[in-house]
Amino acid sequence: MHKFIPYVFKSLWRHRARTLLTVSGTAVALLVFCFIGAVQQGLLALTSGDDAGRTLIVFQENRFCPQSSRLPQDYAGDIKKLSGVADVVPIKVFTNNCRASLDAIVFQGMEPEKLRAWRDLDLRSGDWASFSTQDDAALVGADVASRRGLSVGDKFTIGDVSVVVRGVFQSATAAQNNLIFTQLEFLQRARGASDVGTVTQLEVHLNDTADPETIAKQIDQAFRAGPVGTTTRTKGMFQADTLADLAELIGFVHWLGYACVGLVLSLVATTTVMAVQDRIKEHAVLQTVGLRPLRVFGLVLTESLLLSTLGGVLGVVGSMLLLSLTGMSIAAEGVTIAFEPSLALAIQGVSVAVVVGVLAGVAPGWQASRTEIVSALRHA
Amino acid sequence: MSLVEVSNVTKEYANGEETIRPLDGVSLTIEQGDYVSLMGASGSGKSTLLNLIAGIDRATSGEIVVADTDITKLSRGKLADWRAAHIGYIFQTHNLIPVLTAYENVELPLLLLPMSAAERRKRVEIALEAVDLTSRATHYPRQMSGGQEQRVGIARAIVANPTVVVADEPTGSLDDETTEQILQLLERVNNELGMTLLMVTHDADAGSRAKRRIRLERSRLIENGKELQTATLRTA
Ligand SMILES: Nc1ncnc2c1ncn2[C@@H]1O[C@H](COP(=O)(O)OP(=O)(O)OP(=O)(O)O)[C@@H](O)[C@H]1O
Ligand SMILES: [Mg+2]
Repeated sequence: MHKFIPYVFKSLWRHRARTLLTVSGTAVALLVFCFIGAVQQGLLALTSGDDAGRTLIVFQENRFCPQSSRLPQDYAGDIKKLSGVADVVPIKVFTNNCRASLDAIVFQGMEPEKLRAWRDLDLRSGDWASFSTQDDAALVGADVASRRGLSVGDKFTIGDVSVVVRGVFQSATAAQNNLIFTQLEFLQRARGASDVGTVTQLEVHLNDTADPETIAKQIDQAFRAGPVGTTTRTKGMFQADTLADLAELIGFVHWLGYACVGLVLSLVATTTVMAVQDRIKEHAVLQTVGLRPLRVFGLVLTESLLLSTLGGVLGVVGSMLLLSLTGMSIAAEGVTIAFEPSLALAIQGVSVAVVVGVLAGVAPGWQASRTEIVSALRHA
Repeated sequence: MSLVEVSNVTKEYANGEETIRPLDGVSLTIEQGDYVSLMGASGSGKSTLLNLIAGIDRATSGEIVVADTDITKLSRGKLADWRAAHIGYIFQTHNLIPVLTAYENVELPLLLLPMSAAERRKRVEIALEAVDLTSRATHYPRQMSGGQEQRVGIARAIVANPTVVVADEPTGSLDDETTEQILQLLERVNNELGMTLLMVTHDADAGSRAKRRIRLERSRLIENGKELQTATLRTA
C-alpha cells in the first residue's frame, strides 16, 4: 500500500486549490476547537485540584466584586485560633474591571512572607529582596508582563494604583500568571485611608485532617454577630460562584467545539466525495490494472485522512503557539481563567482530526471500491 | 489445454422489459502466442466478450478458463489479483493516470506484484524502450500526443509480462499514420515478445493484420465462415 502514497499526494497536489481550501478550513476549525478546549481547561483548573478543595476563602457576605468586600483585617487573628487552621493569609484585591474582560488587570496585595510561603512563584527576572523592601514594588505574572510589555524597573499605573515592577514570575498555576502581586499595606493605602485595616478576602489554609466544610461554618458562625458578616467557601467553590455567569457561557461555547468537529467532517467529506467523482474512471483503470477494491477504498481513505490530519496539525500547532505566546485570559470580578494550552489538548485535537478524516473517507471510499469497472470505464 | 477457453458463455443485460443478449452461448479458444482480432458491428458485443476474458466483467453463464484458472468462480478481490498477474489491458483512449509520469504509469502494474525496486526499474525501462519512449519517461500524459499516450498505454499493458494482452479498439481514435505505428508495435509484441494478443477493432485493415480473424455476428462467433464450437466439440 505504501507504494501508492506518492499517487495519493500527487492527486491532492493536482487539485491544490481544493486541497488548500479544505486544509485551511480544517485548520481554522481545529484552532477554534483548541481555543474552546483551552478555556474549558482553564476553568476546570480553577475549580478542581487540591488547592481548590482544601483552601477556604472568606469573603464579605453578599458581596461580589472585590472592591465591595471589606473585611476587618483582624478577623485573621480570630480565624487562626480555630483548631484545624494552619494559616490565614489576608489579601487585598484590586481590579480595574469587575465585569468579564479579556484584559482585566488584577492586583493582589499580600504580606511578602505569606506570598512566598503560599504561592509557587518562579522569578524569571528581578528579586524577592527588592520586592519586600520597596513600598510600591510589584511582582508581575508572565502573561500580564508579555501582554502589557512590562519588565523589571518599569513603572505601571492603573487608576489610583501606581507600582514599579520588581520582578516577573512564572507560576505552574496558569491563572496566577495573569496576576500582579503587591505588598498588602501598599494596596490598602493606595485607594485612600478608608481601606487601611481592611482586606478583600482571607485565605484559610487547613491542616491535613481538618474538614473544610465544618471550619467554613464555624467561621461564618463566629462573625455573624460581628460588624461585617462573612461567606466562607472552598477556593474552588468561591471561584465557581464568582465565575458562574462566565462558566455558563463557556458551557455553551463547548457545543461550538462539537460544531467545529461537524464542520471538519462535512468539509473533508465533501472534498473526498468530489475527488472520488472526479476519478470514477481513474479508479476503474486502477482496478483493471489489478488493484483490489479494498485497496481503492484504502486510497480514498488515505486521501481524506491526509487532508484532515494536515489541517488538524496546522490548526493545533497554530492554536498552541497563539495560546502560549499571547498568554490570553479572561477575568471577571477579580478571578482569572487562563487559556491553558496543553499537550493533552493538542493530542485531543489531532486525534479528533484523525478520526474525522477516517469517518469522512468511509462513504466515498466505499462508493469508489464498489463501482462496476465496465460502466465506470464508459464514463466520460 | 488451451491458454484461454471460453465455453458456452452468455451475457445478458436486463433492459426494462426486454433482455439484451449480446453473447449467446459463445465459445472460443486462444492458444499461447495467438494474435486474434475480433470484429463485428457496433453494439454486437465485442467489448463485452473482451471484458469477460479480461476479468473486469461477469458472464451470466458459461465458463472462462485462462491459464488453468476458471475466472468466473473468483471473488472480486481474487479476480483483481488475477488481473494483476495475467492481464494487460490496452484501452481505446489510453486512460493513463494524469498525475503520474509516463514512467510511473508504466510502473503501476508492477507495484501490485512481489518485486524488488531494482527489478521494477529494469522492467519499466525495457517496456519504455520497446515502445520507443525512453526519452519521454518523465513526461506527464498532458505533455504527450495521442499516439505517444497510446504507446505508454501499451507499455503499461505489457510491462508485467501478462498471460494475455487485450486491446479494445487500440487505434480507434488515432490518425492513419499513428494507427500504422501502433499496429506494428502490436505485431512486435506478438512476434518478438511472444505475447498472446486479443484485439477488438472496427477497422478491417487492422483486423486483417492478425493471425486469426474472428467475427461476432448475431451473438455468435464466426471464424473462417464457421461458427466456433466449445473446445471439446471442436477437438472431437
Ligand atoms: N450495462 C449495460 N446495460 C445494458 N446494455 C448494455 C450494457 N453494456 C452493454 N450493453 C449492450 O450490449 C451490447 C454490446 O455492447 P458492447 O459494448 O459489447 O458492443 P461493441 O461490439 O463493443 O460495440 P462498439 O463497437 O460500438 O464498441 C450493446 O447493445 C449494448 O447496448
Ligand atoms: Mg466496444
